[in-house]
Amino acid sequence: MKYARESCGVIGFILVLVTHYIGLIQTGPAKFFTAPNAQKLFYFHVPSGLITYLAFMMVVGGSALYLYNKSDYADRLSKCSAELGLVFGFMSLASGTFWMKAEWGGDIFSRFMTDMRLATTLAMWILYIAYVVYRRQPETFAVKKNAAILGLSGMVMVPLSYLSSRFLRSHHPVIVGTEDQGSLDSSLRFGLYMGLFGFLFLYIFLFNTRMKIEEMERIHLKAKMEKI
Amino acid sequence: MKLYPYLLVILLLASNTSAECRDIECMPDEYRAEFHSGSDWIFYYDSIFTIGSNWYIIFERDGGVQNPETITFSFVDGPNKKITGFDEAPKPDNSSISFSGSSFIKESFHNVFYINFTSTGDQGQEVFWSYELEIQINEDPSPANDLVYLWGGMSVFWLSIGLYVLYISNKFRELSDKIGVEDNGIRKKN
Repeated sequence: MKYARESCGVIGFILVLVTHYIGLIQTGPAKFFTAPNAQKLFYFHVPSGLITYLAFMMVVGGSALYLYNKSDYADRLSKCSAELGLVFGFMSLASGTFWMKAEWGGDIFSRFMTDMRLATTLAMWILYIAYVVYRRQPETFAVKKNAAILGLSGMVMVPLSYLSSRFLRSHHPVIVGTEDQGSLDSSLRFGLYMGLFGFLFLYIFLFNTRMKIEEMERIHLKAKMEKI
Repeated sequence: MKLYPYLLVILLLASNTSAECRDIECMPDEYRAEFHSGSDWIFYYDSIFTIGSNWYIIFERDGGVQNPETITFSFVDGPNKKITGFDEAPKPDNSSISFSGSSFIKESFHNVFYINFTSTGDQGQEVFWSYELEIQINEDPSPANDLVYLWGGMSVFWLSIGLYVLYISNKFRELSDKIGVEDNGIRKKN
């Protein structure tokens, strides 16, 4: 399809707008929360968090594939997905911090140091900052190989972050995969799914665009090398 | 200039105007107590007690003539109130009782609220009907702060996506200029 990439972007944008309508206008302030308005960040915080996991898992997959067969496509996939994981990870961490400050109050720094969900997610995000920074140098075989090894660490970091609120000391609410998921109000669930699909489409759009840019960069570099 | 003091007074009054509603229509929860004598009592209330706002329970008798002498409303570890003298009236339409919004200062969940119907029997005051309602004590934050955090968090999403789209579109344009690539393929620069 000729405009598949652009369509993904438009669909994602519309779905996110619908989520705004559902989250901010249609549903009233949440009950049982100290900060009933800030709770509305939930519609975007949860999807951005899940997309972050998806992005970093793609880095893991791409890195593993690169180490296995030296596929250039897998290497590009890891590089682009890591960058997007940082963007969505930032959204998730920053929005979570706003919510946390409103709902829990207290010192943000000590929360990040003592709550295992927050600490492991921040550690995962910083690890991939290191990955992206490491990749900002001439792409030799050694750089690609080392980056793939670093990218594979997500194999530990992603499940650790995801499961930390279930098994380690954490105040972070757990909804997905628990009994609470079924007890979510239908309007809340609808808004959450809208947000999730909206961000997923946006991710697909941004990922494809970033892959295209990466391909162009390599073509440009190749042409430059041929000139030399 | 004289308009400003008036406006200020109106705004000050407006912020203090309470939206508390004492009508049955405003009560989201309802409980019907059925007695053998055919005298039903219906309680209208809000299962969420918001700290700072007065909390009401409205009750009415539906049919029958049997009345308790006393109805006691009490929170466990909280205030209680009594209404007496029902046996003298043939059929009260409805009545209500309120608890001050300052009755609680801390948020707590699953609080038990007792409604006891008592009358004088052979051995003095006897509870002949009792019911427990579950009430959640909720504390609303300062709405202004809450909204600041909401908009702060929302800005994060749009700024992040917006800045990233700006970054990749600049990069895309720059590379397109460099290698003369169009969306549908590669062409050589003139």
